[in-house]
Amino acid sequence: MDLDRYLERDSRIHAADARLKFLITIGFILSLSLLPIGSFLAIAIAWVVLMAATVVARIGPSRVVRASFVALPFVAAAIPLIFTKSGDPLGDINLGLFTLTASGEGLIQFATIVFKSWVSVQAAVLLTFSTRFPDLVEALRALRVPAIIVAVISFMYRYLAVLTDEATRMMRARAARSASPDGSGGGSLLWRARVVGSMVGSLFIRAYERSERVYAAMQSRGFDGTMRTLRRRQFGGAQWLALGLAAVTLGVFEVTGHLWLPRA
Amino acid sequence: MPFLLHAPDGFFSTPVAVALWIVTAVVVGYSANRASRELDERAIPLMGVMAAFIFAGQMFNFAVPGGTSGHLLGGVLAAILLGPWAGTIVMASVIGVQALVFQDGGLLVLGANIFNMGIIGTLGGYAVYRSLVPLLGGLSSGRYPAAAVAAWLSVFVAAVLTAFELAISDTTSLAVALGAMAGWHALIGIGEAVITVAALTFIANSRPDLLRFGQPSAATA
Repeated sequence: MDLDRYLERDSRIHAADARLKFLITIGFILSLSLLPIGSFLAIAIAWVVLMAATVVARIGPSRVVRASFVALPFVAAAIPLIFTKSGDPLGDINLGLFTLTASGEGLIQFATIVFKSWVSVQAAVLLTFSTRFPDLVEALRALRVPAIIVAVISFMYRYLAVLTDEATRMMRARAARSASPDGSGGGSLLWRARVVGSMVGSLFIRAYERSERVYAAMQSRGFDGTMRTLRRRQFGGAQWLALGLAAVTLGVFEVTGHLWLPRA
Repeated sequence: MPFLLHAPDGFFSTPVAVALWIVTAVVVGYSANRASRELDERAIPLMGVMAAFIFAGQMFNFAVPGGTSGHLLGGVLAAILLGPWAGTIVMASVIGVQALVFQDGGLLVLGANIFNMGIIGTLGGYAVYRSLVPLLGGLSSGRYPAAAVAAWLSVFVAAVLTAFELAISDTTSLAVALGAMAGWHALIGIGEAVITVAALTFIANSRPDLLRFGQPSAATA
């Protein structure tokens, strides 16, 4: 598993303030979310702009598009829309026991949801690819996420690699101990789930003991419960200007999408 | 495939997403408050490492017929091990990082995802656990059955809620979503219950002293 998703590039987008990027990404996803059903042209425009941004970031569209397929399984959740929405019937699918009738309205609504979602995922991918994790955490802090959560997230990220490595080693050990003659995984389903449970329990104890060692190490370095950070970048005039411009652009885009752009 | 609960952006309508963000912000804010008061300064490294533990613990999978695999979600386990407030913070952090770093779940719908899995699954699951333990004759006899029921419910109710939210968002029809999500997650919930109980058994056998945080006696003290 690749835990470090940041891609080091020398670009304007990488250099931009993380808070600014975070807010613009959320605004971008929000404006997509608010578009009416069938706004395919508006979604396409948003996508082209996003792809242009990936080029400016020197990451390129293909990398971002490839990473966006993680959300694909969820598409299944919207498929029923094609058949349950009333509207012009497009055709029947005979399943033997019953017949499903697809409607044009349902199909348009389904496609709207899937395309909106797909472009939104790509926007989030670009944010992750172009922003270092500590900067993202700083952005959360600036956006008034409770201090304890910011601290927990930054600790979590620090120990993610350690604990996922530990988990991977434990799974390798399980695979080495277990024969699976016909590829069935061996053992009953209940037994397999219980083995996983014991592994979770064992990992918990290891993690807990690690957290005690971490705490002792922090205490010996003078930790008193408050997290301090040396780097505090200023959110200055240039950032406010960029944020304002982005807000106006997204607002104009939204109004245009509602009033003037053709819809299916 | 419990990741069917990690909804991407676009699948919940804007009002649903924003309303659940507000609810989530309030509950998580309150939990943060309670957790900082109940635990001392060791809480930060403990919860941080525990969040990484839940994330890594979700990697352990086991083969399920049909080519998929089952794994832990961890909401009830986190609440029993760490107490409800710290458990909620940990789960919210895990779900947040999954969305922010791995695009496992959207950003605008993050509030809804944390609500379904981190709040209902963790706080709600813990409430079920707490109320069942005395009914089942106290910790010695009631811990595992109560944890099993709470773990099963945490997955099942999260799936039912997701189905309702999808239906309110007009993303799917309620009947189909309820049938598919609830039916499927009723099975996934059994896996969650078995894993949760097995993990608790393992910990009770090796380090029983670590089972003190989320216990009814400790939480009321």
